[in-house]
Amino acid sequence: MSEKNRDRKRSARERMLQQREADEARARRKKKLIVGGVVVAVIAAAVVTGVVVQNERSKPETPTAAPAGTIGDKNLVIPVGAADSPSVLTVYEDPRCPACDIFEKQFTQTIEQLEDQGKLQGNYHIVSFIDRSLGGNGSKYGANALACAQDVGHFRAYHDVLYKNQPQESDDAFGQKARLIELSQQVPGLDTPAFEACVNDNTYAGWVSAVQQDFDKSGFKSTPTVLLNGTPIYPKKGDEQISPEKLVKWVDEANQGKKLGTTGSPTP
Amino acid sequence: MTSQQATAPRVGCGSLRRAVDGAAGEWIGLAVRLALAVVWGWAGLAKVADPAEAAQAVRAYEILPESLVKPVGWGLPFLELALALLLLIGLGTRIAAAVSAVLLLAFISGIASAWARGISIDCGCFGGGGTVDASKTEYLQEILRDTGFLLLAAWMVHRPRTKFSADAWLAA
Repeated sequence: MSEKNRDRKRSARERMLQQREADEARARRKKKLIVGGVVVAVIAAAVVTGVVVQNERSKPETPTAAPAGTIGDKNLVIPVGAADSPSVLTVYEDPRCPACDIFEKQFTQTIEQLEDQGKLQGNYHIVSFIDRSLGGNGSKYGANALACAQDVGHFRAYHDVLYKNQPQESDDAFGQKARLIELSQQVPGLDTPAFEACVNDNTYAGWVSAVQQDFDKSGFKSTPTVLLNGTPIYPKKGDEQISPEKLVKWVDEANQGKKLGTTGSPTP
Repeated sequence: MTSQQATAPRVGCGSLRRAVDGAAGEWIGLAVRLALAVVWGWAGLAKVADPAEAAQAVRAYEILPESLVKPVGWGLPFLELALALLLLIGLGTRIAAAVSAVLLLAFISGIASAWARGISIDCGCFGGGGTVDASKTEYLQEILRDTGFLLLAAWMVHRPRTKFSADAWLAA
């Protein structure tokens, strides 16, 4: 009898212990599930918030305000030279890009002659991606200043001044708005209060961003990218190395039998 | 003689395991957890500032279709920041570490794939990104660095118990 009693007692205690263990295990599982749920919810909420916030913050790909005289379906392109020129030279350039400076040193004179002769219209895409890899604002502010110059009809001259005074790629001198304004004094008639305000207020920041996003999606990966009537010609057209003489020859070949653009009123 | 040689390293291994399992392990775990939190926090913050740049960094890999480029470029930094936060407070450490490991594996594969296809890009791991000059690619360094981070994440998955964690506090 007492033997049986002891057995019963032991099994009752064991059952209680087992019950408690099972309860604790269940509580642990529940806690784990809750923590897991919270973690997954935090991660999901962060990602959704991120997409929404960044969508809100990102600048539109179609600019709300573009400099006067810009062309293309989103007004992202700055034209230089007669609009009815038979050939088009498309140039993607970053104000901070040293390779663009090399291109400009070799070709500015030739390109401007061709433009002035009504043979060629320059189409400039002023991109601004070098700030991304090197930090700073020189590409963006430089591009904005060029847009400001375009707005008042001095793009070409100011563009040439910027490249003649380009700092080392790692030196963010164009990130100083005062420097951009100082350089504008080399272009007669450009340095006005309106231009200074445009540079200081970063007026065309949205447009600059839209031009860059257009470049991001273009598939072109570096600057300068130069196309003559849609065909890449820099540093080579097919197997042929470019030179100022070759450029003139290619343009003349493309223009054969076509009417030259309206000249006479020298382009700014 | 030969048997002694065979057992000697096992003894060392055993004491190391005891140390790692015990309190010392939880301190190591804390260091690993915080290190990984710093990595994610840094990576996330560096990519938050410019949405267009973040999107372009993703686009440059030429893996995702254009429709996914922006959601990924925009969401990824926030995912990284969420992981940083979870690891910092030590909440759901094992899950956060597992997600970290999956993410790092994806990054390593992405970089390796760009390398294999001969695309010249910056990984954009800590801001920046996009096409760079072929001479400026650093694929091996980027992969080794991410592999290091992957080891930290793997450690956390294996031993999620750490000092000063919300997990420990909740379990108490």
